[in-house]
Amino acid sequence: MKPGKIYLDNCVTSAMAPEVLDAMLPYFSEKFWYPGSFVSTGESANEALAGFQQVVADSIKADAAEIHFTSGGTLANNIAIKGLAGALKGGHVICSVVDYPDLLTNAAYLEKQGFEVSYLSADSQAMIDLTELKAAIRPDTVLFMTTIVNHVVGTIQPVREISDILAAAGHKIWFHADAGQAYGKIPLNMQELGIDTMSISAHKIHGPQGIGALYVRKGTKLGQVIHGVKRVDGLQTGGLSLALIAGFAKAVELNFSDFEGNVARLRQLSDYLYQKLQEKIPYIELNGAPGEGRAPHNINVSIDYIEGEAITMMLDMHGITVATGSACASQGLKANYVLMAIGKTHVQSHGSMKFTLSRYTTKEDLDFTVDTLAQITEELRSRSPLYNALRNQER
Amino acid sequence: MQYSQKVLDHFMHPHNVGKMDNPDATATEGSPSCGDQVTVYLKVNHDSKVIEDVSFLSYGCASNIATASIITDLAKGKSLDEAKAITWRDAMEALDGLPPVKVHCSVLAADTLQTAISNYEIAHGLKEVPNFSKDTILEELKKIIYPQVGEDIVSLKMVKYVGFTDGEVLIDLNMMSFDSWRQNVAEEIHEHLEKYPEVKKIQINFP
Repeated sequence: MKPGKIYLDNCVTSAMAPEVLDAMLPYFSEKFWYPGSFVSTGESANEALAGFQQVVADSIKADAAEIHFTSGGTLANNIAIKGLAGALKGGHVICSVVDYPDLLTNAAYLEKQGFEVSYLSADSQAMIDLTELKAAIRPDTVLFMTTIVNHVVGTIQPVREISDILAAAGHKIWFHADAGQAYGKIPLNMQELGIDTMSISAHKIHGPQGIGALYVRKGTKLGQVIHGVKRVDGLQTGGLSLALIAGFAKAVELNFSDFEGNVARLRQLSDYLYQKLQEKIPYIELNGAPGEGRAPHNINVSIDYIEGEAITMMLDMHGITVATGSACASQGLKANYVLMAIGKTHVQSHGSMKFTLSRYTTKEDLDFTVDTLAQITEELRSRSPLYNALRNQER
Repeated sequence: MQYSQKVLDHFMHPHNVGKMDNPDATATEGSPSCGDQVTVYLKVNHDSKVIEDVSFLSYGCASNIATASIITDLAKGKSLDEAKAITWRDAMEALDGLPPVKVHCSVLAADTLQTAISNYEIAHGLKEVPNFSKDTILEELKKIIYPQVGEDIVSLKMVKYVGFTDGEVLIDLNMMSFDSWRQNVAEEIHEHLEKYPEVKKIQINFP
């Protein structure tokens, strides 16, 4: 079986669109130049770069000058968080226990640098508690961070309400958001959301790997994190591939040319997937928020009485790639921290399956996946002492 | 991390899988919270003391299913005394090895088989219920695998001290503060020792 024939792990990375490759090729060959002044090669690169910046800026209703290209989402998160921290020198930071590892590892770093960090809890759907946020804000709170769409269960945080709370604090609290899973999947309007810095990534929306961007709202002061000569951007100094940026811009164009249509289609497909899973597999439950409360590309379920690594391996043998939150599938042998934080049991986490869809996912892919998964579930449950015990009780 | 072809074969097409009707002995080890649980069923010839049939059920990952499959293969047709000599290392070898983080699965499979045999022997008056002592703790610690390298913590000389007084187990472990496996190993120790009613409290000390 061809590996990844049906690929449903698009939250990790997604297939590059063929149009994106075409858009990149000239910048790998004849247009290989870096931006520069007073020479036609450099000016040509300047012009191209400005165009790409504008494309990305338009997609989030920002100004081109507010878009900084980086070597991906993690670089963008680091430049923003460490940059804000560098400008602030110290104080109190708030994030949540269900945030993306980029934010949590940076929070741990800030603690070592002398910042104090409060970690908000999350409810059973991975939504942070706004009352808890209000209570956590102190006179010395300087930074709030959140993951707009949760990377595990797809829950959408109430960004507008959060920024209203931050604005009501009576002093400036900077707002950094990770939009890795949100960008291209839910509308993000920088004029309305009150976010100061936000990371996005190209390869989650069928762009190339190795390129992302940081939105930095005008007037936001960041300490320099990456020191060196400015070639493409002043925040991530040094060389950045214009070819990858060209591919990123093309992916944005493709994603946003019919944004509402794309989102509606993804929503329809994921609703269909969940409905079909419920029909074909008994003892299954949704993790995260239902319906409109979750991103349109994410369905995360727990399949009771069996373990996720075994399920993913069997699906893989049928050419289907999905993800699991099972401890057995992780190198650290730990159950998924987001699922545990939202009150799931070890067994629910071990049996969790995450399906993330893309523009290229078809209804036929999902039919085949659910039918195969139903057979696998039956097979593994017939081997499971937990399931056998249940059957005995029912008799 | 890669599984051997043998592991994949036993995972996809396990031998001796399924609940046995009227077994002569059975044992369940592991816990769902740790992500793996195995039940082994034995049918023993009361005269010859030969394991005539053996089967298992497994809640767990691919290697958990494969190690239970192979351990039942190894035990089938053996006398109880022969089967008592089967260890997790035999299971590992028969599967052409396991990734280090998965070695604990072979321990669970071997352990469950041994407990089933022991349950049979106790039920049939072939042995007494063993007294719980410091040696019992040491034997259990030999079943705790350090996931980084796939060896047990006793062989790796990570156990510096074992004490047992008034139901309290005291263990000094030589694991540094930066060792990311501390919590895993501590949880495994708790799982292995808490099943003994004699154990009231477990204190694990790190340097």
